[in-house]
Amino acid sequence: MKIKVTQEKLSKALNNVSRIAIGKVTLPILNNVLIRVEQKKVSLVTTNLDMAVIDFLPVSNSEDGVVTVPAKLLAEFVSNLPKGETIEIESKDTKVEIKAGKYSSTINGTIADDFPELPEIEEKNAVVYKVGIEEFKNSISQVIIASSNDLTRPALTGVYFNTYNNCLAIAATDGYRLTEKILIDKVESEVKAIVPSSSLQEVLRSINDDDEEIEISFNEDLVRFRLGEVEIVSKLIDASYPDYQKLIPKNNEIKVILNREELIRVTKLAALFARSVGGSIICEAKTPETFSVKSVANEYGENDSEINTPIEKDGRANFNSRFLIDALNSLESKEIEFEFSNHVSPAILRNKKDPKYTHIVMPLNS
Amino acid sequence: MYDVWKNALAEIEQQISAANFSTWFQDTNLISTENGEIKIGVKNSFYVKQLRNRYLNIITTALKNNNIEVNNVEFEVQTKVKSKVRPREVTKTSIDSLKNRVKSIRKSTPISTNNGLNQKYTLDNFIVGSNNDLAVSAAKSIIDSPGTRYNPFFLYGGPGLGKTHLVQAIGNELLKKNPSLKIFYTPISHFYSDFIDAIQTGKGKDFNRKFQKLDVLIIDDFQFIVNKEKSQEEFFNIFNDLYQLNKQIIVTSDRLPSQIKSVDERLASRLTWAGAFDLQLPKFEDKCAILRAKAELMGAEIEPEAIEYIAENVNTNIRDLEGEFSTILLMSEVRGLTPLELIENGSVSVNRSSKMRPTSPKQIVDKVAKYYNLTTKEMCSKSRIAHIKTARQVAMFILSKELGLSTNKIAAEVGVKDHTTVMHGVKKIEKDLKLNFTLRDQIEEIKEKIYG
Repeated sequence: MKIKVTQEKLSKALNNVSRIAIGKVTLPILNNVLIRVEQKKVSLVTTNLDMAVIDFLPVSNSEDGVVTVPAKLLAEFVSNLPKGETIEIESKDTKVEIKAGKYSSTINGTIADDFPELPEIEEKNAVVYKVGIEEFKNSISQVIIASSNDLTRPALTGVYFNTYNNCLAIAATDGYRLTEKILIDKVESEVKAIVPSSSLQEVLRSINDDDEEIEISFNEDLVRFRLGEVEIVSKLIDASYPDYQKLIPKNNEIKVILNREELIRVTKLAALFARSVGGSIICEAKTPETFSVKSVANEYGENDSEINTPIEKDGRANFNSRFLIDALNSLESKEIEFEFSNHVSPAILRNKKDPKYTHIVMPLNS
Repeated sequence: MYDVWKNALAEIEQQISAANFSTWFQDTNLISTENGEIKIGVKNSFYVKQLRNRYLNIITTALKNNNIEVNNVEFEVQTKVKSKVRPREVTKTSIDSLKNRVKSIRKSTPISTNNGLNQKYTLDNFIVGSNNDLAVSAAKSIIDSPGTRYNPFFLYGGPGLGKTHLVQAIGNELLKKNPSLKIFYTPISHFYSDFIDAIQTGKGKDFNRKFQKLDVLIIDDFQFIVNKEKSQEEFFNIFNDLYQLNKQIIVTSDRLPSQIKSVDERLASRLTWAGAFDLQLPKFEDKCAILRAKAELMGAEIEPEAIEYIAENVNTNIRDLEGEFSTILLMSEVRGLTPLELIENGSVSVNRSSKMRPTSPKQIVDKVAKYYNLTTKEMCSKSRIAHIKTARQVAMFILSKELGLSTNKIAAEVGVKDHTTVMHGVKKIEKDLKLNFTLRDQIEEIKEKIYG
């Protein structure tokens, strides 16, 4: 095997794939990157058996062959070489020689036979969606914050891709809050799949500035993200996702329009005094036009801020300030809609006049 | 079938490297072998190709060596592979929990069936030990012939010792034997609120009739009957009616009826006609037995040493015992360590008393004196007036149990002559505690004052 490639390209590709090749100690070969050249097509592959990252590397010159090398070592070596060098990698059995101008090294690789073969998505049975990269990046970041780390409820550790009313929605919940975003307005094929949050985070990290579109393909138990030269294949979480639509309250009594920046400010102020009570703050609406956020810390004092906005109905509810700030930060518009009711029903936060993104926060018992 | 796979795995293990074996075969299981169509469950689709391409021959040979016919081997992704320890019952969906959070504001306890019984309580999963064998044998005799010898059945004991479990189990077993029996389980507080509802809506008579039709009435947490004379009278009437008809009545409480303030004397004496049975704190061996049974029930693996450690260190009640147990299992799942490793590296501490604020002996002595309306000087005098003496002994008892002071030190603190007096005092209180519930309450209250 032999390839010739610029330092920048190789370093970027290696950084992309080597992130998941660290940490799994049970099978040492999983710490390696597989370099394969097949009919002039070069691919770098790593896997942790939950997901795999494949980077197709454009090279100027190559000879067929395959070898595996410790991913982290190779990535660090290459990234420390001077920019603009042309790097030559050549394997003789399991010895891998790397040459770049005056620098050269030999790394002991392993034969590729032991590297696990990756599952593939059959194109003809796959359900495929295409999304603009900016839209994808934003939407996933907005939704993923609500996914859970609780390994005892595997379904909630992922982001749920599901289609209804001809649109593709993504959703996540940890039992205290819930996020939903309409990713594509109009789709023809249907999907219901839970993608592990960890895999999505890897996808987010792999996005390049010059990527324009991402292709997402699902089959029964796999999902593949394709962006530019990078492909990420991940398992799906085999569990049933809760019917989250039912949780979105339909008729909250109190609806207010608020300036987002201002609400963030008063919530942060209130949060300072809410530390001793687990971040619990009180939101209160008073006709005709007072929206106030309060918190009380018995030993330090209390805080009370007001925002003027038209109010139609009185009411109050307690929320966790951290969840509220997360929600507000994930919204984008200058003004937002904040809906809640007295105590029991969850609060809804949305960008003003934009129903695509919904963020729901459970009230605290008070 | 599972054993066949275990044998096959043992054979495979010898042929490939340990790393490969633990990576590829650890979470596999054999789903079916019918007509030579072998189905093997694997963790996710990343495993399928590798197993098929690399290890198919080894698997086939291993299965054939175990006399299994093999025509075709399929791999199936299956997440329900057995995990090492299963943490506390996993709630089905987040919806349930979200909804419950909302609902819990209005409704306190979900009741599975309209007779109020929760089917998870059975006699089989009630662990019998020296702390409760008497009550259980009485329970069994009730199941054989309700409404005869042990009627009313009065069961008492501290919180978390299994009162509710035992009486619900009686109800469930009776129902299993004779599904047509009319059984009703209710905490006394629900009995009240239902009764008040019935009165307000003018259906007081219906309420009465509903209860008179019952074959078995189970009342839980009877100690909450306080100060509600009208409802108490209603309960008394229902009690009498059912008793006359030889219907089984079962009542639980955290203390004897005579010690509950404001219980009518007539009612109090009637409740203990057939004797009162108590559930006591389990001893060390009982606690170990409970934990072992619980581990088996949950399909969890836990070292005997870990069980002994938990049993030794949780001294409050069975509910706390099971709570600590679940927490440790959950942590071991999350951290990937066995329960014993967790305990040994100090990640968990189940010693309850360590959570309390340390106090000085002086404070304890003062608090005890104050509680009994004595000055510290009075209490620490040589007076042998009964109530002063008791106070002094209580102070010695608490000093010994809570601070673990030596008897000599205690003698100095409370101003008695020497350590033998202290030993006697502590022993006296220990003995009295078993019988004297007022004293038990008093000491609890004092402790609350000390640590609160």
